[in-house]
Amino acid sequence: MTEQGRRLGVPPRELRRRALELALADAGVERGRVDGYIGTSSEAFDDVRYLGLAPHFAWTMQAGGATAIWSVLNAIGAILTGQATTVVCVYGAAPTAGVRRPDGRVGGYGGFRYGYPAMYGLIGAAGAHALHARRHMHRYGTTVEHLAAVAVAQRAHAAVRPGTLGYGAPLTPADHQASPLVVDPFRRLDCCRDTDGGVALVVTSTEQARDLPGRHVPILGLGTGHNLRNWWTGEVFDHHDDVATAKVTAFGQAGIDVGDVDVAALYDPFTISPIMQLEAYGFCAPGDGGPLHAAGQTGLGGLIPTNTGGGQLSGYYAAGFTAIVEGVLQMRGDGGATQVPGARIALVSGHGGNGGVQNTWSHATMLLGAA
Amino acid sequence: MSRPGPRDVVPDDLDAPFWDACLRAEFLVQRCGGCGRAFWPASSCPQHGAASMAWEPASGRGTVHTWTVYHHAYDRDLADEVPYVLAVIELAEGPFFHSDLVGCDPGDVRVGLPVEVVYDTVRPDVVVPRFRPRDAPGEPPTADEGKS
Repeated sequence: MTEQGRRLGVPPRELRRRALELALADAGVERGRVDGYIGTSSEAFDDVRYLGLAPHFAWTMQAGGATAIWSVLNAIGAILTGQATTVVCVYGAAPTAGVRRPDGRVGGYGGFRYGYPAMYGLIGAAGAHALHARRHMHRYGTTVEHLAAVAVAQRAHAAVRPGTLGYGAPLTPADHQASPLVVDPFRRLDCCRDTDGGVALVVTSTEQARDLPGRHVPILGLGTGHNLRNWWTGEVFDHHDDVATAKVTAFGQAGIDVGDVDVAALYDPFTISPIMQLEAYGFCAPGDGGPLHAAGQTGLGGLIPTNTGGGQLSGYYAAGFTAIVEGVLQMRGDGGATQVPGARIALVSGHGGNGGVQNTWSHATMLLGAA
Repeated sequence: MSRPGPRDVVPDDLDAPFWDACLRAEFLVQRCGGCGRAFWPASSCPQHGAASMAWEPASGRGTVHTWTVYHHAYDRDLADEVPYVLAVIELAEGPFFHSDLVGCDPGDVRVGLPVEVVYDTVRPDVVVPRFRPRDAPGEPPTADEGKS
């Protein structure tokens, strides 16, 4: 992983190059050994030459914040079908650079729009997720104080993790309430911030990993689900994602239960997201995700330490790679001041993309084991 | 301010019958002849596919399923519009329909609020349906008010 921050002044392709260099060094993999390349941005067209790779294949994927885990899933598929032995999954973006896009809008993710709802002013992911939040408040009595508790809890983690946007700057509920309303019920501190940075993952077989000097982290299970399933039944706004399907697949592969998870690294574009996912995965009953945060149960020593690096809300936004990086750090025991002592299993989630209508996000689950 | 029309944001004609009907102040949904389920926008029935789908008139009524109020303008064209209400309408026929709410104070919106369609001529050849509370001031109840 490269430095993560705002206005780094480094072009996306260079961030991807630096991320790859760091990942190869970390894993102890020679460049020439890389025989598969999976990019995670459509702008990655000329990366392979620039990165000096000579792979058997190179493709790019895009499913929003689910892309990171999907790229790992696809890397495994390529390895299992004999296409490659060592695949790199590479991310690098600079949304804060202020680059003007072809449609005239300035970079960043806040202006994302999808289909007919944009005509009525449904622009950006915040509005789309506010629809989930409002529904959750209606069904369960979740409050803005619960949303604040998520922001405060994750900032408490970031505040003691150097390199995050929230380092050294803890929050209080009053700080949260004082931040401006953006898209009701979200205030600015309910939203993650665009961040520049690069991340690269090296994926290889367990057998080969054992021979490498790097400290590899085993992948225990992977799962996918798509919220369009809940669109057809009229429940799409009641679910953040189709977690149920992804969970069954991933936990089934790993042969473990939710109670075995020591640390959660959940995709968190907005404060409602960890609440809804902790419920959907079964760490608490539906509707109890807000109280769980308010009771401090998502911090160190709590029921399920969640987003221990500050997540995207207070750490940095590297699409779904933020959660993967934190899962890897925890499984290596490299979580610093927010390392979960003795953590053996990490739950990592991704969420994003679309494929139907607003809020029909893709979901991806990855379970990691201790290094 | 020039509001976009449907073809400005979704440049294909998949839903042309719906938008053409709006020019006549008619609200359509697609219905599957196989199971009777209604859909919007144009879809293939997850059970019966596309063959049995047909557009048919709908009530243009529903209730607010979920909502938000935009206080920040993500598009400079919306700077004069904030705060505005963006709602997901659960149509009486079943499907969801995203719309802003007109004639509705942001403080009055709630889940379950009964709403009805109004037709907004944004350009001479573009009519966009929007929704307003059914008890909007100045609008007498319609003849079939008691049905829902």
